[in-house]
Amino acid sequence: MRSLFSVQELAIAFGSNQVLTSVNFDLGEGEVLGVIGPNGAGKTVLLNIITGILKPDKGRMVFLDQDIVGVSTVDRARRGIGRTFQIPRSFENMTSYENTLVGGVFGDAQTEKAAGRKACEILDTIGLCDKKLEFAGKLSLLDRKRLEIGIALAGNPKMLLLDEAAGGLTESEVSEILEIVRRIKASGISIIWIEHVLQTMLHGTDRVLLLADGRDMICGLPEEVMASREVEDVYLGTGGKRRKRVAE
Amino acid sequence: MQGVRKNNYTKSLAILVIVIVLFFLPQYGSDYAISIGVLIFLYISLGQMWNLLGGYSGLVSLGQQIFVGIGGYTAALVTEVWHQSIAVSLVVAAGVSLVFAFIISFPIFKMRGVYFTIGTWIVSEALLVFFRNWKFVNYDAGYNITIAYRIPMSQIYHGALVIGIGSVVLVYLILRSRMGLALMSMRDNEGAAEVRGVRLYRTKLYCFVISSVYTAITGVVLYLNIAYIKPGAAFGIDWTVCMVFIVVIGGLGTIEGPIIGAVVYVILRQYLYSFPGISMVILGAVAVAIILLMPKGIMGAIHKKFGVEVFSVRRRIDERLEDGS
Repeated sequence: MRSLFSVQELAIAFGSNQVLTSVNFDLGEGEVLGVIGPNGAGKTVLLNIITGILKPDKGRMVFLDQDIVGVSTVDRARRGIGRTFQIPRSFENMTSYENTLVGGVFGDAQTEKAAGRKACEILDTIGLCDKKLEFAGKLSLLDRKRLEIGIALAGNPKMLLLDEAAGGLTESEVSEILEIVRRIKASGISIIWIEHVLQTMLHGTDRVLLLADGRDMICGLPEEVMASREVEDVYLGTGGKRRKRVAE
Repeated sequence: MQGVRKNNYTKSLAILVIVIVLFFLPQYGSDYAISIGVLIFLYISLGQMWNLLGGYSGLVSLGQQIFVGIGGYTAALVTEVWHQSIAVSLVVAAGVSLVFAFIISFPIFKMRGVYFTIGTWIVSEALLVFFRNWKFVNYDAGYNITIAYRIPMSQIYHGALVIGIGSVVLVYLILRSRMGLALMSMRDNEGAAEVRGVRLYRTKLYCFVISSVYTAITGVVLYLNIAYIKPGAAFGIDWTVCMVFIVVIGGLGTIEGPIIGAVVYVILRQYLYSFPGISMVILGAVAVAIILLMPKGIMGAIHKKFGVEVFSVRRRIDERLEDGS
């Protein structure tokens, strides 16, 4: 699988708080990479760095064979990096259709007419066709999460960053999000998916990366990573006990 | 869809009738009604331009009086010193304000939020001090704009009408354009708009320049109506205070808001001339009351209650696409 995006030695600190020490990973074309980790591990910070909202202290990020560390947020979006936010940031006083239009017109540099045509297709894909003229601020959480994905898709991304797309949803709603992610993956778009709902990582990703202590602890097949000692240590805090047993 | 078309047709017809009635007002209205009309149209323009900044771009400027002053002084200098026509002063005012807005955008656009607000105010105060000490503009004594006495009131009225309607049309066209889509997304969430590919700096700069140039053009007609200019009044913060009042009580981020706000403001000011000592206190109390009772302004309350939107900038879905989907 050809690499679409790679991160090397990425580090960032806020004052004396070293959030990311050294993060490294690759993302292949059409691949879905899940990123898990405890609260405060720096998962959202990682996405903010990839989209250009935050500037890393050191490290490289190569997207489509070009280093994008010095590239602006807008240009990253236009080169094909789309994202959603943990707390949906759709444009509340605009309709679902207009929200999607923003993604197409500015993320994909299309005319309003062309973006409008695509917006209808996207709203159909994400299941918001019947709510296209509703204001985003009046949609339910699930619909706003869908709309977030729709806006990102309208920008014609090559890589989609999902920040807790399933967070706060019921089990049946999570299944709907999973179905949308499968459809996106089938269209060939690569995805980096941050999630707290670990079940989605098992069913919706090709590989899973564990982010903890500011670095990539382990990366591999979802089942392997979920069953790994590292995940157990990080999530259950059993590392200390095990080390004590080994010492005894 | 047919219902929407019929509704649009009715709205357009109603607007046309209002414009025709207003156009012929000098032929049947009293001098007082004409002078009130002039003020309302000019304040609509000032309100629309401030709304473009504060309501859509998130640029809360307290320095838009800079451009009222530039417009006024351009009218005075071009007609009194260089003895040129009003048309020339309009062109010069547009040119000078464009250049000035562009120059000051570099330092003030480096500031964010409240610092931007204070920055714009400081620039206007600096300009006020500069004009008070500038021999070329007659120091603090100012100018009588004598050409204003030779213009019939009906001409000033029609000039103000064109400026007022022009400001509404300009803002409507901007909001219907690609830039408008960017502005509306920025109004709702600036950070999210940037991540989706909206160029914030460029959009804000265009907005600032357009707003400043049109405010200066309005300033020309405003001072032709006042006929006397001096630095304290031309660059005084009162202009921006009234713009903010108009937009906030009318409805921030709406086209109808500044129209309603300007009508309320001008009528209220006429009434408050009877209370010279406390007029500003009453005006402030009215603003506070409206903000508390109608946080989205009068237009926001009307829209919420009746769903009325006169100048809709909503994007409609192509009928053929709807049928196909």
